[in-house]
Amino acid sequence: MADEKITPELFAHLVELAALELGPEEGEYIRKQLNNQLKAIEELVQVPLDPTTLPASHGVPYTPAISAELREDLHNPFPHPEAILKGAPKTEDGHFVVPDIPHEDLK
Amino acid sequence: MTEYEAIIGLETHIQLNTETKIFCGCKADSWDDAPNTNICPVCSGLPGSLPAPNRAVVEKAVRLAHAMNADIQTESYFDRKNYFYPDLPKGYQITQYDKSIARGGHMDVPMPDGSTRRVGIHKLHMEEDAGKTRNEKGRRLIDFNRCGVPLIEMVTGPDIRSADEAAEYLIRLRQLLRWLDISEADMEKAHLRADANVSIRVKGETVFNTKTEIKNVNSIEGVRAAVEKEIARQIQAYESGEKIEAWTLDWDENTQTLRKMRSKETEADYRYFKEPDLLAVHLDEEWLSGLLADFPELPLARRLRFIEQYGLPEYDANILTSERSLSDYFEAAVAAYGGDAKRVSNWMMNDVLKLLNERGLEAGALKLTAEGLADIIKLVDANTVNTPTGKSLIEKAHDSGKTPQEIVESEGLAQVSDDSAIRDIARQVIAANPDNVEKYRGGKDSLIGWFVGQVMRESGGKADPNMTRAVLEELLKG
Amino acid sequence: MTELCDLSAAELAARIRNGEARAVDALDSALARVAAVDGRPGTLDPGDLTADDQAKVHAFITLTVERARAQAEAVDKKLAQGEIPGPLAGVPFTVKDIFVVEGTPSTASSRMLANFVAPYTATPVARMEAAGAVMLGKVNLDEFTYGSSNESSAFQPHPRNPWDTSRVVGGSSGGSAAAVAAGEGALSLGTDTAGSIRQPAAFCGVVGVKPTYGRVSRYGLIAFGSSLDCPGPLARDVTDAALMLNAIAGPDARDATAVTVPVPDYTAGIEDGVKGLRIGLSPDFFKLTYYNHESSEMEERPLPDDILAAVMQAADKLSDAGARIVENVPMPHTRYGIPAYFVISRVEAASNLHRFDGVKYGYRTADKVDDLRAMYRKTRGEAFGPQPKLRILMGMYVSAAQYSEQYYQQALKVRSLIRGDFDSVFDASGEHKLDALLTPTTPTTAFPIGDVYGDSVLMQYADQLTVTADHAGIPGLSLPGGLDAGGLPIGIQLLGPDFSEASLFRIARTYERETETAAWRSARPKVLG
Repeated sequence: MADEKITPELFAHLVELAALELGPEEGEYIRKQLNNQLKAIEELVQVPLDPTTLPASHGVPYTPAISAELREDLHNPFPHPEAILKGAPKTEDGHFVVPDIPHEDLK
Repeated sequence: MTEYEAIIGLETHIQLNTETKIFCGCKADSWDDAPNTNICPVCSGLPGSLPAPNRAVVEKAVRLAHAMNADIQTESYFDRKNYFYPDLPKGYQITQYDKSIARGGHMDVPMPDGSTRRVGIHKLHMEEDAGKTRNEKGRRLIDFNRCGVPLIEMVTGPDIRSADEAAEYLIRLRQLLRWLDISEADMEKAHLRADANVSIRVKGETVFNTKTEIKNVNSIEGVRAAVEKEIARQIQAYESGEKIEAWTLDWDENTQTLRKMRSKETEADYRYFKEPDLLAVHLDEEWLSGLLADFPELPLARRLRFIEQYGLPEYDANILTSERSLSDYFEAAVAAYGGDAKRVSNWMMNDVLKLLNERGLEAGALKLTAEGLADIIKLVDANTVNTPTGKSLIEKAHDSGKTPQEIVESEGLAQVSDDSAIRDIARQVIAANPDNVEKYRGGKDSLIGWFVGQVMRESGGKADPNMTRAVLEELLKG
Repeated sequence: MTELCDLSAAELAARIRNGEARAVDALDSALARVAAVDGRPGTLDPGDLTADDQAKVHAFITLTVERARAQAEAVDKKLAQGEIPGPLAGVPFTVKDIFVVEGTPSTASSRMLANFVAPYTATPVARMEAAGAVMLGKVNLDEFTYGSSNESSAFQPHPRNPWDTSRVVGGSSGGSAAAVAAGEGALSLGTDTAGSIRQPAAFCGVVGVKPTYGRVSRYGLIAFGSSLDCPGPLARDVTDAALMLNAIAGPDARDATAVTVPVPDYTAGIEDGVKGLRIGLSPDFFKLTYYNHESSEMEERPLPDDILAAVMQAADKLSDAGARIVENVPMPHTRYGIPAYFVISRVEAASNLHRFDGVKYGYRTADKVDDLRAMYRKTRGEAFGPQPKLRILMGMYVSAAQYSEQYYQQALKVRSLIRGDFDSVFDASGEHKLDALLTPTTPTTAFPIGDVYGDSVLMQYADQLTVTADHAGIPGLSLPGGLDAGGLPIGIQLLGPDFSEASLFRIARTYERETETAAWRSARPKVLG
């Protein structure tokens, strides 16, 4: 379709950036859905904006009066760090383990 | 022959010496810890965990920004920098992007040749460190202990012109960081890390050519060597007509060589956006003024003042301002002594520093107070003790915690200036050495030194050497 | 005789405190109800659905019976020793499986976390337990909360509506709403990002509260849209929801966005009525927006009659009780709620899902891969269902450097406008001076399973009446407002200014009291027979 913003090429690039791997059918379904969603999103572009309208990162305005103080710099250890490592798919000698990332030597 | 100049910018990562990490209560320093023992749900990126920012990190960032002459922003934000890497457990780094805690700034770096280089600061912001990974037998081992350690990233403009200047900037930065108690700044422990952006151009040109980035250098000498090597490589490449590409290079300290990193790792759109888990950092007036209220004189300013105010040679001023407690100690000693500052400097440079170096201490840890040092110099000036005894008092006072006067009294170290006591010892020495007496009387004047030495030894070092010499000369005349 | 599991939390806690019932009895009653109506729990490899499956609720993924029994016994022991065991002592509750609980599987209804056993506990769960409540288990949801029907859960069978098991429960807190409706735990802890508490509450005929953003700590809530996510209560009545919010609200040093505003006793003025309160009706909540696939255009449709009638009837009741109803309140940016949400929530979700990479926890591909990047791709490709993938890819697209200004920054500005709509109508010196808005919760009642799932745009628009409160951060409450012609629950919604939960409870409780004798109040979910 001519008005598709997310073309198969762009889609493939996004999939790569997102560290995903999709089957062809799944990919085509998702790509189509994304293009449909973009039609709804396009509504936004038409919203008239005053130049004074600021982006809202949160809805609630965080005044100092309702915001928490920053944390004091006091040691507060987690009681069982070993439980974190225990959940890992692969470990060795107290390390998490993943496949290598090779280097290329410079002459 | 064509002359080239190097264009160098340094990107430093400064590990802050806070008690805890930037977003959780784990220790900031886990140098001695087994891998993955100083971690919690927050710094290891467990699902559901949230960052809780550390007040001390903001405070140290403010102090550094002030020292770098930067504009401190009363409202700043954290952002997410998104990328995949196994040492980054959340898949994004919490950092500051477009609204960081400081803008602009510079540092004037004195160079060994007497010139000064103004190095501009492009970026100064707070962020979290990533973990450590190492390759072993085709797989990568990951330790998250370092994840979430507080860092300040500080990036200079392309203002540095040689490997030596780069090293000098880092030396001065390290000094400043320790001075302000912001970082231990130990490069071997990666408290201070430097990446160098390096390009070359024909001297006189104003273009900026393609630059390479050198990463993973862990000493100031390493920076000097790596940058020097890269400049030479670029010149050679340029002269042989090769294109210089925007590589990222990895410095191998052991082999002193540069390796090219895989380009995939460096290509990215980080898709920065404001970290929704954190609020803006508000620096209210009271907090800010409190932080800057007792801001210390900085090392370079103090160095200049030492030269001007005390008439110290540049060499002395450099060394005495190399570390803050040393310079404070010196000034306190000068004030207590009340006399020639250069005399205090000599004692500091020769004897106090010797003890500090031997013991691996900073001046602030000395048990001999600055007033005590002044007292020692005064004792020597007044001939109460001789110079070697005075020097020995430094170590004794530090080890015992007693004042120099107390030690002199308890150990009976005061010089014997009593004429009759010296006369008695001198008579014994003369009586016991008839041969040398004869030689001296026969015209060998230089033996007087030997006689003085004998009397000093017999007196346990306490005899006033000038008086001893006078007494001996009188008695030996016969 | 009413079974313990059908009592309100307030009544049950009172009986346990008085010694009329034991906490273990309440637990056994709830477990018996689970055994009777829930059917098999959701699993990754469910096989075919049987006829029996289709008649069951399937709220649960994990029942934590041993943990619950230990807690219930501890409550009974405390009572026996004369100690006061907390305001929710012995009340069974369920937890949406998007919260981590130490030592329990915390799956987010995703293959990605199917084997993840959390080493720590979410703050709101810990607070429920500190108040004496007894956690029965973890309930189902849309995968990572991404949906409005629970059909997207990787753990099947997904929950089915207790009022009609051919219908969806709504979502994403669908397991929570279904469990509460079916008496499988008096209370449930849910989360609301676009309507994920209120919409399933409406579909299942229970009360659901999205508190003000920051009112309840998010620590331990596996994040979707971090600037939108709100933990909150689902309960069978308004007072129970208020009791539960009492327990979970408040500042938390572990969540920097948790506000320091003091927490009132939400039950204190709950019976005080609505005299003098100004309650608004907005035409912008009475029209619906849909994407027409034929024309590729957004279209407007009217609200279904039953739902509109329920809202108007509620306005009349509240008016009778002394509230001042203010009509024609303009909320012009309501229709942009979903488009802005499509952008903001996706950017945050894509980032929040970065951590699922097969390195630290959860799923890693079983394929032998010797390249790190390939490990990432395979792990994420295999373990994420279509909903996370859709959100990741849209998030990547709209936050890419070259589109960020056009989409992401624009959406954040539209969010300001949405907030502005609420600010102006709640402004005490403005034209409307509202204490609350009264709106429908959902565009429809519970739709048939399979009707919407697969159309990601239509599914998202199920949240069009709830999402603006999430953008604005304000509190919203959905409560039962009658039944439609097919006997399915209709939800009506109250929206108020920041931290006005107490007055929303008061209004809701007044409506509840005013309709106590209404015929529809005696209807029960069909699964209860």
